[in-house]
Amino acid sequence: MPTLINAKQSQTEHETGSKEETIMSITESIQAPRFQAGDFKSDLKPIWCPGCGDFGVVTAITRALAAIGRPSHEIAFVSGIGCSSRIPGYTTAYGFNTVHGRALPIAQGIKLANPELLVLVASGDGDGFSIGGGHVAHVIRRNIDLTYIVMDNQIYGLTKGQLSPTSQRGRKTPSSNFGSLEEPVNPLLYVMGYGASFVAQGSPADMAGLAEIIEAGIRFPGFAFINVQSPCVTFGLEEQQLKAQKAKMQSLESLHHDPADRARATELARDYGTKLYTGILYRNPKPPPTYGQGVSERHQALKKQAVPRQEILNRFIPN
Amino acid sequence: MREDLIIGIAGSGGDGVVSAGESLITAAALEGYHAILTKSFGSQIRGGEASCRLRLSTRPVLSPTGPLDVAVVLNWDDFRRFGGELPVQPATMVIYESNTGVLPDKLPLEGVTPVVTFSVPITQLAQTHAGTDKAKNIVALGLLAGWFGIGRESVVAGIRKKFGKKGATVVEGNVRAFQAGLEFAELHPVKEERKMKAPQPGQKMKLLTDGNDMCAAAALFAGCTFFGGYPITPSTEIMQFLDREIWKYGGTVLQAEDEIAGVGAAVGASFAGKKAMTATSGPGMSLKTEMLGLASIAELPLVCINVQRGGPSTGMPTKAEQADLFQAAFSAHGDCLRPVLAPTSVADTFGITVEAFNLAEYYQTPVIVLSDQDIAQRKETIDPIDTAKCQLVERRRPTETELANFARFKLSESGISPISHPGMAGGNYLASGIEHNELGRPTASGEMHAQMNEKRFRKFNSLKNRRDLFVVEGDPNAPIGLVSWGSVAGAALEALRLAQAEGLHAKLLVPKLLYPVAEQVYQDFFASVRRGLFIEQSFQGQLYRLVRMYVDLPPQVKAFAKSGSNPIQPAEVLERLRELAVALQNHANSHQREAVAD
Repeated sequence: MPTLINAKQSQTEHETGSKEETIMSITESIQAPRFQAGDFKSDLKPIWCPGCGDFGVVTAITRALAAIGRPSHEIAFVSGIGCSSRIPGYTTAYGFNTVHGRALPIAQGIKLANPELLVLVASGDGDGFSIGGGHVAHVIRRNIDLTYIVMDNQIYGLTKGQLSPTSQRGRKTPSSNFGSLEEPVNPLLYVMGYGASFVAQGSPADMAGLAEIIEAGIRFPGFAFINVQSPCVTFGLEEQQLKAQKAKMQSLESLHHDPADRARATELARDYGTKLYTGILYRNPKPPPTYGQGVSERHQALKKQAVPRQEILNRFIPN
Repeated sequence: MREDLIIGIAGSGGDGVVSAGESLITAAALEGYHAILTKSFGSQIRGGEASCRLRLSTRPVLSPTGPLDVAVVLNWDDFRRFGGELPVQPATMVIYESNTGVLPDKLPLEGVTPVVTFSVPITQLAQTHAGTDKAKNIVALGLLAGWFGIGRESVVAGIRKKFGKKGATVVEGNVRAFQAGLEFAELHPVKEERKMKAPQPGQKMKLLTDGNDMCAAAALFAGCTFFGGYPITPSTEIMQFLDREIWKYGGTVLQAEDEIAGVGAAVGASFAGKKAMTATSGPGMSLKTEMLGLASIAELPLVCINVQRGGPSTGMPTKAEQADLFQAAFSAHGDCLRPVLAPTSVADTFGITVEAFNLAEYYQTPVIVLSDQDIAQRKETIDPIDTAKCQLVERRRPTETELANFARFKLSESGISPISHPGMAGGNYLASGIEHNELGRPTASGEMHAQMNEKRFRKFNSLKNRRDLFVVEGDPNAPIGLVSWGSVAGAALEALRLAQAEGLHAKLLVPKLLYPVAEQVYQDFFASVRRGLFIEQSFQGQLYRLVRMYVDLPPQVKAFAKSGSNPIQPAEVLERLRELAVALQNHANSHQREAVAD
């Protein structure tokens, strides 16, 4: 199999190619960008409402993919169910629009089956932190090399405006006519708590920043979580719209936040819901080994022990 | 001398009952006997009561069931807890531990008085010769070797191997314990007719394994490189076997956080182009259902093993039942068809598992294999399998021409479309659980939905012609017909053989493809049938009801269905067959009388 151009993998997973090839690949992608963002946009017309934040997210993703420079057939883009989860179809990657809450397990199977693929996962807040919330802890502790983008709009848009796990306490919706009695999930703190090594937040209100964060997430060797404040124009609150976000958001860079500072990152994560920070909240300066690295080492160590498949039943000879 | 011997052994958890059974069946396999070993435990995780039953024969054994010829009782309370699993009859030879204080004519068995009983100081012999109670099971093996002539050499060889690491003292102690048992038996001879015949000449050493290990080995043989699953009794050994082996072949086992994630990862691996599987039992199947529907509409190959146990809900985790057929056939929303296969034995599990991968790849579909606790966890001697004769099928990859204008879900004549996977240039498409057109693009068109549904059913048309997935035994023109599947088919076949020996005119159909229902196969089988029975280990008789949805069965075809746990015995099937023969004869007589009256 030809060596794939994958700056991220070549930094961490040496089995993907020789050093010379790797260096050449990186140089090539720096010198001559192989792709434009448009190469990653499909001609499928989104079903989203005009003005939906998700339009910005798909643009940011395609820009990041162009910057990464891998051809679309080497990318698998997995999603669950919700407005946001239509997104793989709006790109030219291999897409898999799966079932509600299960994008992460399916994406992990894809990455484990073919570690050379670049695997992106998209979810909404419901997909990611309600019906599928249980999977988040496990993908983090496995540290499987995926980039997980959650389009967090604090509402269930596809089913027309019910409470989401990130809706504020007291929020009135058709399923909470007298106001929500629950505290919202804090996605940033949630993933920090389970030990995620890359945690970022962005908004389509800052397209360039969002594309940069996504690119950094893809390049990060291991599981990367990106929360995107992607407003719902139809069912969202006024203060959640792009215009309000622009006024409110603060880049973490401008706060002189050091992404290597885990304690500070955790403190800042607590402000979810009151402040809107954008940028990389936490990036582990010494990323733990990925699951894929462990698998690869095990394959190398054990492959000599394989008996030919035709002789597999010989192990049942009694002794 | 006898050609068939059923031994039951029961004791407490630490008595080494199962280990004794394992030693015996290993000896049997080495000597060329046919044998099945089943184990049964109380619900305690460690300790508690344990039992095993070994059926040994000079001919192929079809089922592990039947009343005991020999009962070895280390503890009466433990033995009695197994009730119907270890049935004693007057002809059963009972060997029991003397220190239980039971008198030979006062055995604590209800409604049965065995004629031949031996009170043996098993513990005392173990202590005297091996210096420990732990050798009780070895004494028992010596008794069995002495009385029935099984494994005189191979058990000793096994002892040397097993205890070798513990040093010469332990080895010699155990060998002495075995000899003590042997000598006790020789001092108290039994009649010649109770002894076991030597294996038929030419019988070679056999393979020895259980259904779960066989299933996992078959998956590896078929080229499976991904397993996603979650531990659940009685299927866990499949994952454990694969975890020991799959890495050597560049594959991966993922013990997921739950059943859904396990099957989800397998669906993902299949999307990525690999042969993938999951294995579980009933409760896990309930959780995996949504993912199976996804694999159906996204047309992704997937093998899902369900090692059935008693249900519903937690039910009876360590006991076999055949009550998940409806679930296998129907548990998904929407119109959806997926093949359901069932092996009938440990040996059969190899071919059926390989077939499941072949069907999954060929039809781009999830395939469910219904094993059960009995097959999965019993040990069986197996004649060598010629793997060179097994064909492997790969999914239909797109050609260069097809990739130029790729339609992943092309409405082809066969219903089978070319399938690409990430990494394949030009094959990019959107797989989805949402209805889609030929290109994979989401659609809300009713016409397209109808066409795609039709395609997803049409592709299975050829499957119903797979006559090789059905076995018919007996005279094809017989007026009495039995149908049985899975582990129960062995008991049904044995009953058929007994019935034929009595001169009954009967036949048996064993479907290994349970769904879709191959209408023509059943119609052909029932053409000659005037009295019939579906023999099943479920309360409802699920195959009987399933087949009736598709086939107009003759009115006198009924179900003989029993809830799980206590396996269906060949003798009870034989009893039903005799009743059918009598009913048929009465019917014929009454017709004759009518004819005379006319």
